[in-house]
Amino acid sequence: MTRHGRCAITILSGFLGSGKTTLLRRYLAEQARGDVHVIINEYGEVGIDHHLVHMVEDQTVLLQGGCVCCGRREELVSALRDLLDQEQTGAGAIRQVVIETSGLADPVPVIFSLATDPVLRHQFAVPLVVVTLAAIDAEAQIRRYEEVRKQIITADRVIITKSDLTTQQEVARCRVAIRALNPTARMIVSPFGEAFDSLAPDERQDDGRRREIMLRGSIGQPQQHPSVQSASLALDSPLDWTGFGVWLSMLLQVHGPNVLRIKGLLDIGDAGPVAMNVAQHVVHPPEHLPGWPSTEHRSHLVFITRVIDPVRVAYSLETFQRAAGRSDLRVQRLG
Amino acid sequence: MCVLCGQMFSEIHWSECQLDPVQVSQGSGETSRRQERHARIRLLRKVLAQYGLEISDDWSATSYVVGNRKGDQRLAAAMGELWRVAEQMAGRALDPLDESLLERLRSLESTA
Repeated sequence: MTRHGRCAITILSGFLGSGKTTLLRRYLAEQARGDVHVIINEYGEVGIDHHLVHMVEDQTVLLQGGCVCCGRREELVSALRDLLDQEQTGAGAIRQVVIETSGLADPVPVIFSLATDPVLRHQFAVPLVVVTLAAIDAEAQIRRYEEVRKQIITADRVIITKSDLTTQQEVARCRVAIRALNPTARMIVSPFGEAFDSLAPDERQDDGRRREIMLRGSIGQPQQHPSVQSASLALDSPLDWTGFGVWLSMLLQVHGPNVLRIKGLLDIGDAGPVAMNVAQHVVHPPEHLPGWPSTEHRSHLVFITRVIDPVRVAYSLETFQRAAGRSDLRVQRLG
Repeated sequence: MCVLCGQMFSEIHWSECQLDPVQVSQGSGETSRRQERHARIRLLRKVLAQYGLEISDDWSATSYVVGNRKGDQRLAAAMGELWRVAEQMAGRALDPLDESLLERLRSLESTA
């Protein structure tokens, strides 16, 4: 359970052969208590990963024969509900659920399933998305496969695996390629699957410090995918929350599929900011934090968009804020 | 459910979720809830006018009433539904990046 009484949930994604199962096995082996549950989704008709995981972890459910993001959402929901039922009947506590998706899965529909289920959304915390990316030939994989790009864009953390099998220069190029797609993700280099503790729920996220780290990620690296753009926006005075809600809900209604990610801390004139986290059309419930994570108290928003010009987004946000009565507000693009 | 008006609050849109549903059901947050809705509708009126639409609250301030110049009216329970309803009534997408909409909003600001 998290501090707010909800179970932590981690979505482990990453392309085929990127080291998801290795990382998960090492993580489970380090867990002293049996309160981490695992749901594995495999694309093939014959599941193998669950046997590997089963060697160290009994509490494993296999969703087999389809991709969790398109064909198996109902099964995922019912698997999670079953876990909750078991906990309530005294079969054992749940501290964390790890969902290992198939290598071809887009994590967003999984998040959507969790966020929209009337039971699960109250029982589970906002999921942490951890994505593995093999350092070997990472640039080519990103260029070639839409699935890899989607996974990286959705990630809260990207684990660069197999760095022990390649050069430091290739790892550095891999970092640049990730940063170009997702300026907010935390990157962790993991030789020999050593960064397995990256699957642990982040206890610090409640106080906003983790968000600060993400938002301070570098922006403006060379773009490898002309259609995908990222922009960091800063607002020079408190925004009107009601006006922001009108604007963003309208934007997502018409441009949802092309707004790949939004993350930010918003100054609404209170003691603490509101944390926003949007993955395509899925808006996580905005969280009003008790205080600012640093001495700088101003709104920051990172947009990752496809096709849409971030300059246009910034101008539109400023216009709506002014129409809502914040005539002195300016939206500045930082990178 | 609100004990006074019998309205169900099964789903609160994220943009309205800073309201505390318990407070609303007990009536203690009703004033601030109504103030926020008034502010939201003021802005929505400026936006929807671009598409020939009007908007108001229903009697209990829990649903939006969207109307057009032909006198058609439709209810929308929350913001997500509002945009779908408005799009259908306008017969085109309502785009916050649309140049003419932004120009209109800026011009309203200068005449305010």
